[in-house]
Amino acid sequence: MIRYVTRRLIQMVFLFLVFLTVTWFLLYILPGDSVALKYAGNPNIPPQAREVAMERLGLDKPVLIQFRDYMFNFFQGDLGVSFNQYPRPVVDIIGERLPRTLVLFLTALVTYYWAGFVAGKYLAWRRGNRGEMAVTIGGVGLYSMFLPFFAFMLIWFFSVQLGWLPISKFLDPEQWRDAPFAANQVFMRLFWVALIAAFAMFAANFAGHRSHSRALERILRVGGGALVIAGFLYYWFGTESGQSMRPYAGDIAFHMILPVLTLTLIAFAGVMLLTRSSMLETLREDFILTARAKGLPEGVIRDRHAARTALLPVVTSLVLAVATVIDGGVITEAVFSWPGMGEILISSVLNEDIPVAVGAFAFIGVLALIGHFVVDVLYGFLDPRIRVTEHG
Amino acid sequence: MTARRLPLETSAGRAPLLEVSGLVMRYETDAGEVSAVENVSFSLGRGEAMGLVGESGCGKTSVALSLLRLAPDNARYQSGSVLWEGVDLLGLSHQQMRQHRWAEISMVFQGAMNAWNPVYRVGDQIREAMYQHFDPPLKPREMDQRVERLFELVGLDPTLQTRYPHELSGGMRQRAVIAMALSCEPKLIIADEPTTALDVIVQAQILEELKEIQEDLGLSVLYISHDMAVIAQVTDTIGVMYAGKLVEFGSTRDVFHRPRHPYSYLLLSSIPSVTGPRRRPVSLEGTPPNLLAPPSGCRFHPRCPWATEQCRKDEPPMMEIGPSQWAACWNSDQVPEMGEQLP
Ligand SMILES: Nc1ncnc2c1ncn2[C@@H]1O[C@H](COP(=O)(O)OP(=O)(O)OP(=O)(O)O)[C@@H](O)[C@H]1O
Ligand code: SF4
Ligand SMILES: [Mg+2]
Repeated sequence: MIRYVTRRLIQMVFLFLVFLTVTWFLLYILPGDSVALKYAGNPNIPPQAREVAMERLGLDKPVLIQFRDYMFNFFQGDLGVSFNQYPRPVVDIIGERLPRTLVLFLTALVTYYWAGFVAGKYLAWRRGNRGEMAVTIGGVGLYSMFLPFFAFMLIWFFSVQLGWLPISKFLDPEQWRDAPFAANQVFMRLFWVALIAAFAMFAANFAGHRSHSRALERILRVGGGALVIAGFLYYWFGTESGQSMRPYAGDIAFHMILPVLTLTLIAFAGVMLLTRSSMLETLREDFILTARAKGLPEGVIRDRHAARTALLPVVTSLVLAVATVIDGGVITEAVFSWPGMGEILISSVLNEDIPVAVGAFAFIGVLALIGHFVVDVLYGFLDPRIRVTEHG
Repeated sequence: MTARRLPLETSAGRAPLLEVSGLVMRYETDAGEVSAVENVSFSLGRGEAMGLVGESGCGKTSVALSLLRLAPDNARYQSGSVLWEGVDLLGLSHQQMRQHRWAEISMVFQGAMNAWNPVYRVGDQIREAMYQHFDPPLKPREMDQRVERLFELVGLDPTLQTRYPHELSGGMRQRAVIAMALSCEPKLIIADEPTTALDVIVQAQILEELKEIQEDLGLSVLYISHDMAVIAQVTDTIGVMYAGKLVEFGSTRDVFHRPRHPYSYLLLSSIPSVTGPRRRPVSLEGTPPNLLAPPSGCRFHPRCPWATEQCRKDEPPMMEIGPSQWAACWNSDQVPEMGEQLP
């Protein structure tokens, strides 16, 4: 397993270098002079200032030298400075945006995968009942819907008509006016809590599946769930430098409901149909018949034997889902004016703020690679056949 | 046909463990009903080994699955009963049926190579069955010892229990399946083509070992195969199936050496004999009928060299031929002795 992981890590670094190089050349070189000209051609800037600016931005040097410098600085954590918000460092901008995007994307990803997997599992298990048709048609209908249109429909219904949920943004400025925390502090806290909780749930479930005593399995699951809730409560009501984060975290969570709901409803049907077909295939396997013959209860056959094995191709599809969530997420952020990476990506490209754009792409690339890596490791963990062959 | 007492129970003086009578099971399909098990009756005593033979598609697996009520969703049990120690399994609730599975009757499935879930260790999958059926539950230590003993019993290194299925060879997997089938101390093991996927040498070894285990533990085994020669070496009685019907039943010696049903006769004659008397090779002409629309009268008549007008019209009942032999044939007295020339 260790060798497998190391090999994947080396591959990732290499891939990332290629990705970064291509992105850099595409963004810096292709529009070429036009960038400099656009910046420099601004009639409000006198020629001397232009020269100074060009020099300060490093745009006067030959391309390869620029590239060398960029790479050199990149790995020292310096991604240059923004053209538009000069002289704000790109790292600073990304550092501000990244947590917001991570929390939104991960929540959406986990929610829609979980919803799709559970729906698909029951769809296959209770094949032929009347609900199946409705869920399938509904899911596919949503799946083929145009995301911005659907998002506006939800906003209109939940925010405008019912007034239950906020229309956009990620927090309520009124409430945050005298906040003792930066929004990002709260975001980071949310991120870690969610990550640890997800991991704990997974571990408890996995351990539960492996133990064969029903009682122990229940204890592990319930115990795992209880621990997660306890952890949440601790953080929820816990304080930081004497102040409770709860109302602020609550406000952010409240603003997240609609974007997450949008992404989930649009995307879950894909996972659902995949799980369903994988599960139907698994149910035809001989080992399911063996499990039945062993006199195991139906719930055990469904969850421990069928769904656990049917999960494998679904996990593989997570790689593609990372892409779905990223491009869906970019649009969602735009629609909900969620000030995350997606938004900065769009605005920096439109405004030709090249350092920010390259930085944003680089980080989205890193996210995709990490996603890929996590899926690979998860898969190796879930499928013993991979684990061993990759060993050798 | 009325149920009749079969001689083996009387000769052994024991009540049968399993008594199947008049079992009718059909598959519902879009094209109509598939008559897969038609009026099948037989009985199996404690510690006895029975064989069920017949060509592919004649309903052997369907019979076996009916005993555990594991037939696919479209199976319909039309009539008959499956008495297990006097209790009709077809009348049990799902819950009660589940308690019988594995604890009383376990099964080695056809193509048992895929009987293992690829994501769990072999030993854990055996423990899973034991957790289900032992009451009070075994302690982890006892469970480990049991798995070890089972592995030794089937000739496997006990350390293999921590392996995943894909890490074992075909023969090992099959032996482990047998260990799993034995794990809850069942009274009957159904072995559906337990060795067909293996090479001949391993096949013979495993059958031999299974026979030894059966005799040592006093188990009953129902062997299913399309190869009567293989089955004859390990069984006490044999039932021959053709197109969903049991056409001959009796002690292995009688059925193997003096078949009274033309189908059994032709099936046996097509086995090349090395040691026995020289046979004129007779081949079984034609193909098994479509069970969606089985032939009238005797289902074997389109392929039977002795068929008469009566055979086309009337269905022959199981008729007693000798003290331990039944055959469903109007002309069973015309079936030649093995090795004789055909008329
Ligand atoms: N689920 C099903 N639906 C419809 N027909 C079925 C179904 N399962 C089996 N059959 C049919 O029922 C008949 C008996 O099948 P079965 O599997 O019991 O035969 P078998 O004697 O075990 O054959 P084999 O030696 O190939 O295993 C066959 O004609 C088969 O096509
Ligand atoms: S009943 Fe007739 S057709 Fe059937 S096996 Fe006997 S002789 Fe042949
Ligand atoms: Mg079969």
